[in-house]
Amino acid sequence: MHTSYKCYHPYISPFDPCKPIQTKCYSTPPNLYMTFQPTNLRQYDTPYQALCHGTLWPDLFDPYPNVRKEGTS
Amino acid sequence: MNSSAPMPESYYRLLEKIQAVDFVLVDLTLYLDTHPNDFETIKQFNQLAYESKQLKASFEEQFGPLLQYGGSFSQYPWDWKQAPWPWQV
Repeated sequence: MHTSYKCYHPYISPFDPCKPIQTKCYSTPPNLYMTFQPTNLRQYDTPYQALCHGTLWPDLFDPYPNVRKEGTS
Repeated sequence: MNSSAPMPESYYRLLEKIQAVDFVLVDLTLYLDTHPNDFETIKQFNQLAYESKQLKASFEEQFGPLLQYGGSFSQYPWDWKQAPWPWQV
C-alpha cells in the first residue's frame, strides 16, 4: 500500500545562517501509482460518503495529511 | 413565505442530498471521459442523473426554483429573487 506522503532530509550546511530544515515532505496521492484507472473499482456505498471523501473510489482516496514535523517547512 | 425566517431542516437535508448526488455525477463524468465503453458505469450514471432530477424537482416544489431562464418552473407569484440566495444558505 502506498504512503500518502514521503519525506527526505536535505543537506544542512555548517554555514547555514537560518534555522536548518531537517525534514521536508511531499504529497504522493494514490493516483500517482495508478496509471489507467481499471473498470469496476469498488465504490463508496453512499453518495454522501463519496462527497465527504472527495472521491467515488476508496482506492483513490487521500487524506492529504498536513505533515508538520519539527523542522519541516 | 416570510423571507427572514430560517429555512426548515428538510431544506438543508434535501440540498445536501442533491450536492452528494451531483458530486458523484461529476466524478462519473470525468471517469467516463476516459472510459467511454464502460457500460455498467453509464447505467449508473443514468440512474444517478434520473435521481438528481427527481431530487431537484421535489426541492423546487417546496422551496422554489434552483435555476432560471426556464431551467426551473416558477411558482406564483414570480419569486426567484426571494432569499436565501446561494451564499446565504
